[in-house]
Amino acid sequence: MSGMAPPPPPRGRHLTARDALYVVGIVVFLLVILTGGSVRHAGQEMSKGWERTLVLAVGEPAGWISDQLPLEDLVADATDPLKSGDDLGGGSGGFDDTGAAATDTGVIGVTPDAFDRAALGQEPVAPPRPLETVLVTGDSMSLILDAELARRFAGSDVEVVRDPRVGTGLTKSDIVDWGKLSVSQVGKHAPDAIVVAIGANEGFPLKYAGKEFDCCGPEWAAAYATRARTLMNTFRQAGEARVYWLLLPAPRDPDRQRITRVVNAADAVAATAYGAHVRTLDMSAIFTPEFEYSDAVEVDGEEKLVRQADGIHLNQAGNVIAADEVVEAMRSDYGDQVPTG
Amino acid sequence: MVFPTVEFAVFFPLVLALSWALMSRPHVWKPVILALSYVFYSAANPKFCLLIAGVTLGNQAAATLIERADSEKAKSRFAAAAVALDLLVLGIFKYYGFFVEEVEGVLDSVGLGMGLPLATIALPIGLSFFTFQAISYVVDVRRGICDRGSTIDVALYLSFFPHLVAGPIVRAREFLPQLATPRNPRDVAVGSGVFLICLGLVKKVVIADLLARELVDPVFAVPEAYGTADTMLALYGYAAQIYCDFSGYTDIAIGLALLMGFIFPRNFDRPYSSTSFREFWRRWHMTLSRFLRDFIYIPLGGNQKGRFNTYRNLMITMVLGGLWHGAAWGFVLWGFIHGAALAIERLVDGRIKAPKWVAWAFVFHVVAFAWVFFRAPDFGTAGAIFEGIFRGGSATLFEPVVVIAIIAAIGFQLLPERPIVALRHRFEALNPVALGAGLALTIIIVGSTIPGGAVPPFIYFQF
Repeated sequence: MSGMAPPPPPRGRHLTARDALYVVGIVVFLLVILTGGSVRHAGQEMSKGWERTLVLAVGEPAGWISDQLPLEDLVADATDPLKSGDDLGGGSGGFDDTGAAATDTGVIGVTPDAFDRAALGQEPVAPPRPLETVLVTGDSMSLILDAELARRFAGSDVEVVRDPRVGTGLTKSDIVDWGKLSVSQVGKHAPDAIVVAIGANEGFPLKYAGKEFDCCGPEWAAAYATRARTLMNTFRQAGEARVYWLLLPAPRDPDRQRITRVVNAADAVAATAYGAHVRTLDMSAIFTPEFEYSDAVEVDGEEKLVRQADGIHLNQAGNVIAADEVVEAMRSDYGDQVPTG
Repeated sequence: MVFPTVEFAVFFPLVLALSWALMSRPHVWKPVILALSYVFYSAANPKFCLLIAGVTLGNQAAATLIERADSEKAKSRFAAAAVALDLLVLGIFKYYGFFVEEVEGVLDSVGLGMGLPLATIALPIGLSFFTFQAISYVVDVRRGICDRGSTIDVALYLSFFPHLVAGPIVRAREFLPQLATPRNPRDVAVGSGVFLICLGLVKKVVIADLLARELVDPVFAVPEAYGTADTMLALYGYAAQIYCDFSGYTDIAIGLALLMGFIFPRNFDRPYSSTSFREFWRRWHMTLSRFLRDFIYIPLGGNQKGRFNTYRNLMITMVLGGLWHGAAWGFVLWGFIHGAALAIERLVDGRIKAPKWVAWAFVFHVVAFAWVFFRAPDFGTAGAIFEGIFRGGSATLFEPVVVIAIIAAIGFQLLPERPIVALRHRFEALNPVALGAGLALTIIIVGSTIPGGAVPPFIYFQF
């Protein structure tokens, strides 16, 4: 048929299929000896599934080969100036990966910091510092929310620092160690209020009492809660700042739902130590009551779509609702310093 | 699965080796590559494979009926049914939520709100691309300019992984002939393929993601916080970002296909060098432009039915082109602006003589300003961006690397083509060892610029 014709081939030198395989083989060889460890790390950080299996099948031997050679460090040093983001290499506050149980065998002491004065029927005490800087951070769950909060504070004297770290998690320390990052964030911005939405990329094995546990039993939850509590403690700055920690709505996928349920439970437990300074805001109660996934919620008598198509994140409308909750909680601490609009 | 990821870097060499190993046996090669394409697609959501399989079978059934039908009327009826099926799929998955919300709004405003059923349906990635390809297949078979392919060939055409999720929109009559005989293993454009992969990686990961992170996303998130200089920089920045993001994706797609022995049509040809809107659309997303021309503009009558109808056809075509990008009024307005620009350009054709640089600056700025509606999540944000242009205030986002990235992305398109092509040919003529080393070095350098180890998705994945 006259109309049936492929596009013209590109000009320039043509080689053979064998050459194409040589080229790709050379690329694979160089990447294995120069960055094999990174492939292994990437595989270890991926969620369970055939993709992780495939990447680890290549990444484990590639990582071993790379470990035997000194080249990966050389490449890392050579490309260091090109890296984006914070250098947390020597930072303090990193997560303890030994999995030590939190305390010795004695009873864990309770401090006054565990109590929110309002819950004791006492007059709340204003935070010691006026609200000048709000840090919005977390994983991809904090995206859009950060923009929405920045929008709420636009035109006020309060600066909103937006620092979402997409693809990270408390159980994925190889990309970003949130223990170190939180120390760096506090040092850099000295935020008076910190809004945290994190937990969409969790579920990786954690150590507790020296042993590694898969998600999502009590040991894993305890290890996760310890990490979350470490962050909360850093962010609250010995009571100088207030932390607004979002418990996440149920995701659509049943496997993710199982993880999120445990993450929320662990976050809630973690926050009990700092009830005076850390507020947990339960998005699940708003968007997925009974922890049952839903795409939409009723707002002013009208059904409104609040989730993104991935069944994990809130969409713009959902984040507006989440921002309302955050603003309301902040107003209970900071009063009129927080705009209502 | 996204191209610049470790998963794909492991997946592709295995597929490439298997593809060339089996190439001489098409009866084995085709089902294997089809299965691997579905594996590639299932990484997003395995359920979506059922959808693409359904679209394939539905359109293939229609093509078969068209071929067997005795009358022209029956052929047209089968083609129309297939197109309706494709549009229904698009409508359900892409426009249902938007439609329900808009109808709800209208009914509410006249006091007739009745709570229409609302359900989020996950948008399968690449849906707009493979449904458009399916439409082009059936309609081209109906028009007699494309032979009906075998079912496995059509399945491969729609799902072939290099172009599956974000194009280019390859026509069946370009792709099916390439399946008719095994690709020649002695004639592979290896240099071109490697060059395009390197170029695409740099465009996407180094330039587009940098501009998004450091400039565009902050300004579009809180436009009220930025003044004239930052807002203008973000405007130019987004023009550069979307070009690098989308053309970067198609460069990689075309390059991967070349290594497998397949040729895809070109999708971008220095669009920001255009001195007219007509020229811009001949250079920007070229495979979508020709789809819109062949399947909307010309069937509407094109420029053959008088001036008024020509303008009307341009507007309809571009508004539908805008809507193709997504279910939002911003895309509709973006299409409207381009339709109006094309119509006005035709209206004043030859009556206004402007120096070439003035014409370039005008076209570039209209295109860049129209992108605001494309990028902004709502009209309020778009309005705040335009307000920001007149807000004054100091520049806070002027980083040398950001300015260099914008100048590189836009400026390179304005340079004379010949020396760049000559340089490209010199790269393509390198021996396999040098090409492999060049690609590995590019991957390492590009990879080191990714913050947090994660590459943001391509903009066009959402379409």
